[in-house]
Amino acid sequence: MRFLTLVLRSLFRSKRRTFLTVLSLSVSVFLIALLQSLLGTMDALTTSTGSGTRFVVQDKASFTNVIPQAYTNFLRQQPEVERFTVLQWFGGEYKDPKNFFANFGVDPESYLQVYREEANLPSIPLEQVRDFLRDGNGCMVGRALADKFGWKVGDVVPLKSSIFNLTVRLNIRIIFAGLRKSDEMVLAFNIKQLQEAVPWMKGRVGAITVRAKNPADIPRLCERIDHHFANSAQETLSITENAFNLNMMKLLGDYSTMVHSISAAVLVAILIVTANTMAMAIRERTTQISTMRALGFRSGQILSLLMAEGLLLSLLGSGLGIALAMGVASAAAKVAGQIIPWMADFIITPETLLLCVLITLALGLLSTFIPAYRASRRPITEGLRAL
Amino acid sequence: MIWYLFVPLAPYLLWLLWAAAFHPLPLTYNWRSIWQRWAGTLSTVGAIAIVVMVFVVVLSMAQGVSKAYVRSGRDDQVIIMRQNARVEMMSSLSLAQARLILTHPLIARDGVGPLATEDIIVSKQVALADGSGAMSVTVRGTTPAGIRMRSQVRMLQGRWFIPGLSEAVVPQKMLNRYTGVELGRSFAMAGRSWKVVGIFDGDGSVYDSEIWTEVGDLRQAFRRYGNDSSMAVRLRSAADVPSFIRDMEQDVRLKLEAKPEPAYFADLGDAGRPMQVLGQIITLILTVGAVFAAMNTMYATVAGRTPEIGTLRALGFRRREILASFQWEAILLTALGGLAGAGLSLLFNGIRTGTVNMNTWSDVSYAFSVTPDLMAQGVGFSILMGIAGGFLPAWRASRIPVTEAMRS
Amino acid sequence: MDDVSVRLRNLAKSYWRGSLEIPVLTGIDLEIPRGGYYALMGPSGSGKTTLLNLIAGIDRPSGGELEVCGHSLNGLNDDELAGWRSRNVGFIFQNYNLVPVLNAYENVELPLLLQDLGRAERRERVLHALSLVNLTDRMRNYPRQLSGGQEQRVAIARAIVHDPELIVADEPTGALDAKNAEEALILLEHLNQELGKTIVLVTHDPKAASHARFQIHLEKGVLDRTVEVHDRPVLPRLLT
Repeated sequence: MRFLTLVLRSLFRSKRRTFLTVLSLSVSVFLIALLQSLLGTMDALTTSTGSGTRFVVQDKASFTNVIPQAYTNFLRQQPEVERFTVLQWFGGEYKDPKNFFANFGVDPESYLQVYREEANLPSIPLEQVRDFLRDGNGCMVGRALADKFGWKVGDVVPLKSSIFNLTVRLNIRIIFAGLRKSDEMVLAFNIKQLQEAVPWMKGRVGAITVRAKNPADIPRLCERIDHHFANSAQETLSITENAFNLNMMKLLGDYSTMVHSISAAVLVAILIVTANTMAMAIRERTTQISTMRALGFRSGQILSLLMAEGLLLSLLGSGLGIALAMGVASAAAKVAGQIIPWMADFIITPETLLLCVLITLALGLLSTFIPAYRASRRPITEGLRAL
Repeated sequence: MIWYLFVPLAPYLLWLLWAAAFHPLPLTYNWRSIWQRWAGTLSTVGAIAIVVMVFVVVLSMAQGVSKAYVRSGRDDQVIIMRQNARVEMMSSLSLAQARLILTHPLIARDGVGPLATEDIIVSKQVALADGSGAMSVTVRGTTPAGIRMRSQVRMLQGRWFIPGLSEAVVPQKMLNRYTGVELGRSFAMAGRSWKVVGIFDGDGSVYDSEIWTEVGDLRQAFRRYGNDSSMAVRLRSAADVPSFIRDMEQDVRLKLEAKPEPAYFADLGDAGRPMQVLGQIITLILTVGAVFAAMNTMYATVAGRTPEIGTLRALGFRRREILASFQWEAILLTALGGLAGAGLSLLFNGIRTGTVNMNTWSDVSYAFSVTPDLMAQGVGFSILMGIAGGFLPAWRASRIPVTEAMRS
Repeated sequence: MDDVSVRLRNLAKSYWRGSLEIPVLTGIDLEIPRGGYYALMGPSGSGKTTLLNLIAGIDRPSGGELEVCGHSLNGLNDDELAGWRSRNVGFIFQNYNLVPVLNAYENVELPLLLQDLGRAERRERVLHALSLVNLTDRMRNYPRQLSGGQEQRVAIARAIVHDPELIVADEPTGALDAKNAEEALILLEHLNQELGKTIVLVTHDPKAASHARFQIHLEKGVLDRTVEVHDRPVLPRLLT
């Protein structure tokens, strides 16, 4: 500790150089933290609250295909099933195709039960629930979504489907406050409207979401269901909701590869930059280091002092970068969360923070070790001569 | 895009060019000075090379995706879908509509018949070769006319499917990413077994991401009688496209949406767009970091050469000549990094991979496409870094008082 | 306790350039008594700085024995040697070699940081050393805010703050003007006479050498002759 002054002052001996290096470092760490957290946030969404007990039954060929609603008859007979609901992605647009948000046709009563955690069912006023179940044109929306468009309970929302040649006019009956912002960016209405208006949707649904009594039963259930429909016209694919989400995430897998590769490349770049700074800082201090050694400092002490300086430099850079990333992330969650639902939950994830700590250590140690080691082992007489 | 950034800098750049042309201090002088402090130079060049490489490679991916779509369309061909369908997979046409379209007089014919095809598009999960799971792949049921119309598609191995036998053909470029669809193997779909009888090449078009089979077989398997997905037709000439589209949209019996193929594929090609935007944002951020690094190196250069600057000034060189000299040195330094980065990015050129088209939710195969234009943009970026990172140090160099410079 | 500070027996030092051995010092036998004041002299290349470095324990001999301040330096490893220096040797350099980021006080304190001393005791010693060189009023100044003479006085304070037995000085007046050089020499004289420090200095300045009790002349790496100085200049006493 008694050497802290020396380390700190040495670090800021060339203020401009240290400042520029810190900025360079922080910009890079900022980028890595942001990109990694983006991936992490998207990843976290695949494990939603109630999703551990749910699985989805869909068409085996593609989840964009529809399956007969009659398939639910088989599900009803399975003792492990607690509840199920049917869904159809509506792809509805409100006023402008740019106003994208998730909207489904659902079976209202069972939907509320199956997704009771996400919709925070106990918090919804009973009369709102009653109105939603009674009104065939009713719909429920999340608070964040309602805020975005300024909707209130009782408003009429026209939705034009991009999939079906259909526009529905829905009365808002429930505005729910979900556990997470991203759970609130959704609209659900009675699937009957869709099935009555579109001939080929009659008796068909996009997917069936099933809630099992015990999560441990899910693999067995999935297997039994798929086996049962294996010889019918439309085979099914039952996957846990997490796996379903993962499948969607897999689609974004390229992005994760890209982000990791870019992070690695950026790390190499900042390592080079930091190492150069430290090499410069140490080279111009050759005489000073030799003098200190003549005074009786041991090589190991010199090495630790220099390493501490390198660590401090990288700590400053990454600290600033992470702070910057946290600021930008919370701003992005507020602004972009309005447009892209999952962005509302955007944070710098703990995993990213841990990664940044590791990066800081690695950068500080790797960038400094070689020049510091050489300087600490250099013959004293040689260093004193190099003026 | 990036070239616009040069516009506000134009006067300064012109002055620099002028200074270089009538320069009493030759650029070779800077070139040698760059290598005098090679450690600093290499570190800056390396860092900038990485930034430029990231830029070129990410944009080459975006470019690769849109290229796959651009290659797919023909000016004289039109895709007909249900209104608002946007993508073929979401579309449906009735048998009656299809019959009616076929009678349209503007449709071109070849020796065999009219060049029009009714296709059914479904998707199927196919296992990835690396064992990491499965992805949604487009399966297209098409007709002999459909094969003739897509002239970029060539049979490489085996033969085309025979109607009624549940046969399929697979693009060669799918084989290194997926398994279970090799020539001679069978896969299950809609309760049937489909045998792969041919391997084709789609010349980098979107068809390189599709499994093809006979439309009749697919219709039966999925029980889509009288409910095909879409129709593609070739017209007698590209000039007929607008009037044909009008007929499709206005005929009360049809009320369909028709799009020229290039427009249709351009819309789908937007799949590369998020990647492009992401790439540009990343590059912008990284550029800032690289500018700081370049500035550091240039300040060190100026500091190391202060006595030399003093001597030059004493010899009669003017401030602006010193400024131009150091600014050029910074540009040389960063452009070197830019060239290295552009060169490195070539290593990625042609690597074939896939992504998911968010419009169709299915896999699209594409190749990294590192074009000369992208590489030039990368080098352009590096020159901007040189201007931004070099200006302050060069300015400082030109402002050092002669006496002070000589003393140190 | 032995009253010999430096004892050299058949000391040799040579450098290797490739496979070629270049002898710098050969067969040096020398004893410097405790409290001695010796100047090493000779033309450049005669090996005087090398000899000083060997005595100060920052270089290692190729042969012979080396006993300084009661310790044989031959068997010590690098870290032991460093510890030995921190207790027994004070250094004064031609270019002062102060740490630029530390102020005068902190520069003087530097050798004490290597010893197990409390903050208060360190402070007391630093202030004492600074008062010996008459720089207490400048102790918060950084090296670049001091004149050359003041810098060298800080360096001298740094050389004595840990109370070493031996002080080595390599051209201590080389970078100073006549007035400051004289002040530095007065200080050295004082350290020798009042505090009993053994001083070994390298110089080619005859004026500086004339302050030493003995002048050791080196010629091509061997001891040429040792001359006792009889008519040493009488210096005004700056310090009490």
